[in-house]
Amino acid sequence: MFAFLHRNQVPLSSFCCLLLSLYILAAAARGQIRDEPLSAFLMWVMRPLQIASQGTANWLKGFQENYDTLAGFKSENEKLRKRIQALEIERQKLLEAAATNRQLKELLDFRGSLSGTPVIASIIANSASNWFQSCVLDKGSSDGIRKGMGVVTPLGVVGQVVSVTARTAKVLLLTDPNSGIDVLVQRTRSRGIVSGSLETGTILKYVKRSEDIQEGDRLITSGTDGVFPKGMIVGTVIKVRKQHLGLFQFVEVLPAVQSARVEEVLVVAGDSDGTKN
Amino acid sequence: MFPMRLFLLFFLVGIFLLLLQSTLFHLLPIGPVVPDLILVLCVYLGLYHPSVGAALGSFLLGYSIDIVSSPILGLNAFAMSLVFLSVYLSSRAIWIQNPIVTSLVVLLAALVKGAALVLVWAIFLSVEGFWIGAARYIIMEALVAAVLAPMVFALLRRGQDYVERLRAPAQ
Repeated sequence: MFAFLHRNQVPLSSFCCLLLSLYILAAAARGQIRDEPLSAFLMWVMRPLQIASQGTANWLKGFQENYDTLAGFKSENEKLRKRIQALEIERQKLLEAAATNRQLKELLDFRGSLSGTPVIASIIANSASNWFQSCVLDKGSSDGIRKGMGVVTPLGVVGQVVSVTARTAKVLLLTDPNSGIDVLVQRTRSRGIVSGSLETGTILKYVKRSEDIQEGDRLITSGTDGVFPKGMIVGTVIKVRKQHLGLFQFVEVLPAVQSARVEEVLVVAGDSDGTKN
Repeated sequence: MFPMRLFLLFFLVGIFLLLLQSTLFHLLPIGPVVPDLILVLCVYLGLYHPSVGAALGSFLLGYSIDIVSSPILGLNAFAMSLVFLSVYLSSRAIWIQNPIVTSLVVLLAALVKGAALVLVWAIFLSVEGFWIGAARYIIMEALVAAVLAPMVFALLRRGQDYVERLRAPAQ
């Protein structure tokens, strides 16, 4: 017996890991895992690294955009080009500072228009997996962020907080297939659920065939889910298709906020209890 | 058994890859897919370090992805553990010496991971119609991982050689 266990220790331990994963999954799916210590520790370790790495990524992004603008010029005068490049990098830094200031001012103005006390946070990491559309914020429960709160910008809805540690929060983006936001069509007041989809991007679900939906219609939060305040822009309808069969029509949506371009966000509680999922 | 220095090497590499996948890799111009180098690391562990420590390491790598990215804990932990087990079992039948076979093994491991994710997702999350677009992601992710695998394997082997050289005088 012992010899068998010793001989097969690797597959057996691997199999135990599989079983443990399934156990964790089942417990997480039932919502039984809260305040898991390993998550808090890893996020504590990762937070400063992610902030530094994301800072580098933002700098590289700015540098790349900057470089693209320079690429149009001919490189006959190398010295002059290098001079321009150096100046552009300097200018980029100043523009970046100005843009950050502008964004923060807009966020502060927007914050004033919301009820409650919204929290301003920065995105410090994106999803490490291709299967999930998520990001990590640099604020957590110690800053007043709770699971279930909405995440927005002045342009519209970004997503929803799905887990928090003391100093970080994980946000499930609007474009994730697991997300679901209760919305109204602004023109007709028809209701539906906006969700992500791996196949077609963001879609509006459960809209009856008889409902009048047109391309260009704006979608706003209904405020009934307790996550987002009523009237925030979620996106715009870009394609409507009615199948020959079926109760519902297919509606494709362009999100109001392109999450890849967002750096600062506001975390808000809905009109009712914000912890409601 | 896993020597302490090697364990530390793979732990640091895992953290580094997780950091890259969650930040800098999003700048790469390869569409919506982020290279899954943690998967490549799990395959490497399954091929060259078949031990209890490596099995646990694969589980922890998946669990780390869950902590940083997944809406539900355990999804990637399951997938990476399955990848390790599959590679470990298949490594008894194949002998990997050249980059093409390495890529092929990583390609198959990525397909196993994708299938595991879809299966577990369907059971525990039951997102309506999720699997329709999943095939595209599975294939793209597998191709990107397979292309990068020989380079990552070479770097890991170099790191491992370096750590073992450090250890040799001490012994």
